[in-house]
Amino acid sequence: MALNGAFSHLTIEVTDLDKSEAFYLDVIGLDLLGRDLVAEDRPTSLLAMNTRQRVLLVEVPEVPPYPASGGSIHHAWLLTVKQFAKARDRLEALGYEPAIDPRQSFRAVGEFNMDIHDPDGHRFQIQAFGDEGTEILGSGAGTVACGKIGEFAPGSVTRIAKGRFFLVRNADGFLALSAWCTHKNGITTWQKESWHYYCPFHGAKFDANGVYKGDMGCQPLRLNPVSIDDDGTVLVDTGRFFAREGYSPSQAVPARPGAVFQCGGLRELTVSLERPVSKARE
Amino acid sequence: MAQAETLSHSGICVHDLKEAQEFYCGVLGAEMKGAVNFYTEDTLNGRSVHQAYALGDYLFAVALAPDFMPMPPKDQLRGAMGVRHAFTVAKARFDQMIESLTRAEVPFEGPVDHPENGPFGQSVYFKDPSGNFLEILWRRDEDVTYAPIPDLDVG
Repeated sequence: MALNGAFSHLTIEVTDLDKSEAFYLDVIGLDLLGRDLVAEDRPTSLLAMNTRQRVLLVEVPEVPPYPASGGSIHHAWLLTVKQFAKARDRLEALGYEPAIDPRQSFRAVGEFNMDIHDPDGHRFQIQAFGDEGTEILGSGAGTVACGKIGEFAPGSVTRIAKGRFFLVRNADGFLALSAWCTHKNGITTWQKESWHYYCPFHGAKFDANGVYKGDMGCQPLRLNPVSIDDDGTVLVDTGRFFAREGYSPSQAVPARPGAVFQCGGLRELTVSLERPVSKARE
Repeated sequence: MAQAETLSHSGICVHDLKEAQEFYCGVLGAEMKGAVNFYTEDTLNGRSVHQAYALGDYLFAVALAPDFMPMPPKDQLRGAMGVRHAFTVAKARFDQMIESLTRAEVPFEGPVDHPENGPFGQSVYFKDPSGNFLEILWRRDEDVTYAPIPDLDVG
């Protein structure tokens, strides 16, 4: 059967209804709809978000402790970036420890997170996504000289950290694939064992030519233009980006001196933000 | 106006990912949105082994419990074990959902009538195979327009 419905509410067991209600109203910022509006044997409080979703607090004598295996158990609030900043201020004003993101290394650009526990230890993730997540990010590296044609074997993928791209030599020639994930601006890695690029932030995978494989509807990795000078040096312009619908051999630059990128039929994108590679990640 | 737009997803633990997939996708009609298996780099760095399902407009990250997870008694169909997730369907489809649960041999409790001064109509209560409590209900406010749910994201 298809549920063909929507999420309605999260029921949360709490041991002190007044205390927990205050937490969800004052810290998380929910609205109070009322008490005992639901068929439960115990006192309840029904709280509202701006969408149809609700939180139902049910007072119980004891909340089962999270099992040792419960590290993955959590619920995530989605806030706007402005709401996120206000929530962080509220947390600090109410005396909470500065909220941290325990999985910062997994986050994409523009993804804001912090973890918080309610008075009974229920773990919540508070998240917001800024516009940076979908902006076109330049590395500021300009044109990068990668090396001579012969340094790159057919079938090779070379990560050029300085310019945030992968230099691919396939049967058709050279491609420079921007390493920024087209989903939410995570930084992809080449997993040669699996013959794909992988984004650790949300799990997106792209084949060797940068075409997305999966059901999140991502666009292929973007192209930086490649050219080869008369000496046979492979150059990549990291200041220009082209979007594409898939791979075609015409996107590759033939492996011979003087060959240049042909952008016919591709859409050039405007760089909206420079994100130079930090020394730590070079 | 609340200061939180929506819940975007939950992470829950199960004993068996294949069994969970058969239940959430096969029985409840969820759609698989992504997976992190045993061998990916981030799993080796400590990320949970999990699958993500879109159930209605909600995202469940179903993680493999790395060790023992307590189960509620077999005959307890309504409870929370800390939390319970509830999904709403149109009132006109509520009886169909009950028939579907019956056909799939999913034991449930209900329908339970909610007070008329509240937003909920009737609920049925059941569990997934790992003992996570679930609820399906129809709501009296189904015709009210609220802020839209943002797109799901496998975060």
